[in-house]
Amino acid sequence: MADFSWDIRSPLDRALTSGPYGAQGEAGVSLTEIRNFGLVQVMARRGKAGEMAKAAKAQFGVAAPETPKAVDTADATLIWSGPDQFLVLSKGGKHTMESLAPGFAGSASLSDQSHARALISVSGGKACAMLAKLSSIDLHPDVFAVGAAAATSMDHTSVTLWRGKDRADRQSVFNLLVFATFAESLWHTILDSAAEYGATIGHSEELA
Amino acid sequence: MRIVCPFCGERELGEFTYLGDAKPQRPAADAGEEAVYDYVYLRDNVAGVMSEHWYHGGGCRAWLKVTRNTLTHEISAVEPAAGAGAAKVGA
Ligand SMILES: [Zn+2]
Repeated sequence: MADFSWDIRSPLDRALTSGPYGAQGEAGVSLTEIRNFGLVQVMARRGKAGEMAKAAKAQFGVAAPETPKAVDTADATLIWSGPDQFLVLSKGGKHTMESLAPGFAGSASLSDQSHARALISVSGGKACAMLAKLSSIDLHPDVFAVGAAAATSMDHTSVTLWRGKDRADRQSVFNLLVFATFAESLWHTILDSAAEYGATIGHSEELA
Repeated sequence: MRIVCPFCGERELGEFTYLGDAKPQRPAADAGEEAVYDYVYLRDNVAGVMSEHWYHGGGCRAWLKVTRNTLTHEISAVEPAAGAGAAKVGA
């Protein structure tokens, strides 16, 4: 009988090579894969959206988004993912199925997506231009401001996209959640799009 | 062609999948073979304004009812299909 070892590793483990990529000089885009995050999908039961909203307010101290937005709480980000549903993103182990289930009992169904998505943070002066080649959404800050979110597609792949707070150097930050099994494919598309601007590639366990 | 999803806003056609005519209603269990045949197979070939089901699979994954002119592609109304969003049903 063969021995299997079940290592937890990122869906981008093979594809991601830390360091500079593409055009030389000052990088226009930073691509950082965020690892070891917790992600729980919360979906209202039929006719229970109001109760779910109350439960979310009690759980997180802020209202969960009811329109395409991402809302920061003290230790999580609540991201709209469709009508009457949102994602709870936090550091690995912070908000889990076990910790959230009692509060949402009866009002919402929960589903653990922690290992079902890859999380990519895209930032830098050319982040918007790089993403514009992949997205049909207008990402200009006047239209897609900090906290704006979208359930959309890039390169025929479903993604959850939202704009984070600007970096300390005031450069734009975008976050992308993509299905784990599509992550490598989208990653290569992102690299192709970023190459002309020069990219800095890395990974981190720090949520922005 | 673009569709204004009532949940997501205006999106390109590529994010949506066409299901077809939104008019046919599932007949009652005792309605008979003719009625079921009609429901499953027979469709009007509308040249003009038509009510259609579309699926926002590349976005919020909601089913939508779209009123579209098949001659001009002009869309005059988009609304959530019954059951799209838990709040829309029984609330
Ligand atoms: Zn939508």
